[in-house]
Amino acid sequence: MVKRILIAGSVAALVAANAGEVAAQGFKPTRPIEFLVHTGPGGGNDLLARAISNIVEKEKLLPVRMQVTNKTGGGGITAMSYLSEKKGETHTIALFANTWVNGPLMSKEAKVTLKDLTPIVRLVTEPGVIVVKADSPYKSLKDFIDDAKKQPGQLKQSGGSIGSRDNIVRQLLMKNTGTQWAYISFPGGGERRAALLGGHVQIMVMDPQEAGEHLRNGSLRILAQIAEKRMASLPDVPTVPEAGFNIPNYLVIRGVVGPPDMPAEAVKFWEAFFAKVAKTAAWKKYLADNLFEDGFQTTAELVKFVDVFTEQARTVLKDAGVKIYR
Amino acid sequence: MEIFSGLLQGFAVALTPVNIMWCFIGCFLGTIVGILPGLGPPATIAMLLPLTFQMNPTSAVIMLAGIYYGAKYGGSTTSILLNVPGESASVVTCLDGYQMARNGRGGAALGIAAIASFIAGTFGVIMLMLVAPPLAKFALAFSSPEYFALMCMGLAMVVLLAGKSMVKALLAMLVGLWIAGMGTDLFTAESRFTFGQAELLDGIDFVVVAIGVFALGEVLGNMETREGVAMLPVPKGLRNLLPNVEELKACRFAFLNGSVVGFIIGILPGAGSTVASFISYGIEKAVSKHPEKFGTGVPEGVAAPEGANNAETGGAMVPMLTLGIPGSGTTAILLAAFILWGLKPGPLMIQDNPELFWGLVASMYIGNVILLILNIPLIPLFAQILKLPQYVLYPIIFGISVVGVYSVSDSLFDLSLLTFFGLLGYCMRKLDYPQAPLILGLVLGDAMERALRQSLMMSQGDLSILVSRPLSAGMLVLTALVLAVPMFRKANAWRMKAID
Amino acid sequence: MNRGEVVSGVVLAALGGYIVSEAAHWEYLGPDGPGPGFFPLWYGAAMIVLSAVLVVQNFLAKATVAGRPVNWREVGRVLIVWAGFAVSVALLKVLGFILSFGLFVLFMVAGMYRRPLRVAISVAVGCAAGFYLVFPFALDVRLPIGVLGF
Repeated sequence: MVKRILIAGSVAALVAANAGEVAAQGFKPTRPIEFLVHTGPGGGNDLLARAISNIVEKEKLLPVRMQVTNKTGGGGITAMSYLSEKKGETHTIALFANTWVNGPLMSKEAKVTLKDLTPIVRLVTEPGVIVVKADSPYKSLKDFIDDAKKQPGQLKQSGGSIGSRDNIVRQLLMKNTGTQWAYISFPGGGERRAALLGGHVQIMVMDPQEAGEHLRNGSLRILAQIAEKRMASLPDVPTVPEAGFNIPNYLVIRGVVGPPDMPAEAVKFWEAFFAKVAKTAAWKKYLADNLFEDGFQTTAELVKFVDVFTEQARTVLKDAGVKIYR
Repeated sequence: MEIFSGLLQGFAVALTPVNIMWCFIGCFLGTIVGILPGLGPPATIAMLLPLTFQMNPTSAVIMLAGIYYGAKYGGSTTSILLNVPGESASVVTCLDGYQMARNGRGGAALGIAAIASFIAGTFGVIMLMLVAPPLAKFALAFSSPEYFALMCMGLAMVVLLAGKSMVKALLAMLVGLWIAGMGTDLFTAESRFTFGQAELLDGIDFVVVAIGVFALGEVLGNMETREGVAMLPVPKGLRNLLPNVEELKACRFAFLNGSVVGFIIGILPGAGSTVASFISYGIEKAVSKHPEKFGTGVPEGVAAPEGANNAETGGAMVPMLTLGIPGSGTTAILLAAFILWGLKPGPLMIQDNPELFWGLVASMYIGNVILLILNIPLIPLFAQILKLPQYVLYPIIFGISVVGVYSVSDSLFDLSLLTFFGLLGYCMRKLDYPQAPLILGLVLGDAMERALRQSLMMSQGDLSILVSRPLSAGMLVLTALVLAVPMFRKANAWRMKAID
Repeated sequence: MNRGEVVSGVVLAALGGYIVSEAAHWEYLGPDGPGPGFFPLWYGAAMIVLSAVLVVQNFLAKATVAGRPVNWREVGRVLIVWAGFAVSVALLKVLGFILSFGLFVLFMVAGMYRRPLRVAISVAVGCAAGFYLVFPFALDVRLPIGVLGF
């Protein structure tokens, strides 16, 4: 009798173990994948998503096609609500960016936050550079801050919307040093640069890519870089902490997220899938060409990160006087 | 002379059979994209980018530039024939172009649009070639106070577009300003007039309003009786389909006006072809001997905005090529494309990649010629569209409107907005509210508010920044002059009456 | 006196009033310059003033300047067409573009233009097919897709 129970027990255990394994191998995509981005064609996330799908196709990492779909609106809010309607869907994923975290904080109309969706992985972090015109009197970040101390509110920075990294870095610096300078929003990168080059503002934060060409023709000077460690292409430029200002490194991030209630096996599949993508030589080349940093984080790490990141943005923006709704 | 040798080099590159073919393909694609309302050059270029990675950069650049140009030429076709604006700048062409079509001169209107585009486009390229670097400095001197003054000048055009009732024109403009203000405020992230709808966070797209008010408003108006409003029959014979000598003579100043205004405004990053078209149209009307005829189908009313629209292309290339600063959505994508190919636009580009720069310039000349040749024979073909019976044509217009709006945003919400604006367009027609000021307010309102707030941020609240800088002060003076024109005219008419 | 102008004047004045009341919720002048409430306040106020001018103009106008009487029959036709269009847009989610548009064309040709049913059906089918061929097929432009998958 005991033998029978033992045998039955071990058979059951074996079956259960195998079933578990089968379930873990269980999810394989069978339909084309909808890869959402919140920008229009040619925008930041759109280009990244297309680069990813190109790599996937070349290296044949998926048995099905990856289709990039643009759902523009509200800096990500439209894409987020579209994604949230696809509860439990395993073949739809999206590329998220900072605005997916900050947008819902500042907007009453947003009904979905990043926490409501299923974080999968973080892919890249993007460094930034603080630049001034080449003929500017500021040779270091300290020079600028000192001048700002002497004339509070008179110096000006051009940048994007107030929730963007440009302004958050500004808020962090101002708080850290007790200074104040004005921030003027321009909707497009071209206009921001024109304002700086034309001498209408004194300083701005740029993507290293954007700055690259201006460096070459000598029209801009980089005061500091916003990165964890110095970028290979800018070995002589101090990071902001190295320049003497110990502010947290607020990152620009991009990663992958899935619809709410995504089944665990699908999440595991996508996590492993993107880990594979991140290891390919083509991906590493893409990062190097675009001056991105490899910011890969697993699902567990990402979940924790999102909390920290959201809180960071919330505190800074509240201090800056922006209306926070959640 | 350096320029000529560079240009010869460029023609050598551009005139190779392969590059001519790519230029042709680009122009053709661009024309189709331009004809379709909604779908615009930025999206098309972005979609084609991956394909171009296989091509050599010079050919790719030539093709993409062809698309840019072609779209400008194509956009006027639906504006003239169907009162459906293909993109924002084509709205102004609808005003007189469609009326010309109604009067049986549709073919002539298309021809004038093509010719004006050719003249202005060529002018733009020549200017780009000759004066690009110094102009680039001029572009940098332009900042928010100057933009504000420019927008004021644009809005002042309302005064010239008013027609009978100034009050109604101003009210239409104010409604346009209101719609422009909907959405998230750039500076404070405050959301305005969104009625709690997430879809309105980015405001209402211009295309939705323009197509609704112009195209649908027009079609609905024609549905009042079963026979509808008859369009005068399209005249037979090629000669009658093209502009006649009188019409061309009437456009002489308009060709110049469009070219210059379009190019200058094109140089400014951020100011678009819509502003250029409106201002050019306004100037044409202001200097005309028969201003009251504008809006009924005068050829100069087509030539001026169409010219401005095309010259703007050449102007927008100036900051992009010489400074690496994009002047518009399309040039932003072109710039991204250049960088992706490893090219670096900027003052050093001409030195480092002369064959590319001059090849591009040369291909722009060739592109203009190709487009002129492509478009003229197509005119009789397009004019046939006008021969379709109304019960076929009008449902098609409804269909194109839906497709056009949906292609921009994939949003059913936008389609319900379109429906609403169609009704609004009809009401405006019935109540004699002019539609152009609404569009003008919509296009300029946002930019004007931004420019004003940016200016005051720059000056810490000091209003004098607007008049202490020479460029902005100059434009504000011009604005005041424009506003004075109707008063001057009225006073003149009064005097004439008193003399009788 | 043109009744249409008076009515539209009142409507616009109300809109102006709404705009001003909303603008009151937002900052008029912030520390860095005009806030989000600045512009709306001004153009809302201008709207109220100008609509009042419009209405007053109508009351002061000489009686001889009569507005055209409204032909309600004609307007009614337009409203029916518009309603038909609105319904077909509403149906897009369910039926998709091809079907809704086809039905709309049928409604227009047979219902509004009173052509024989044969003609109406052939035009409807022709238009729907034409749109399908040109847009999603040849040009890869997405059209609204309904429950049925096309």
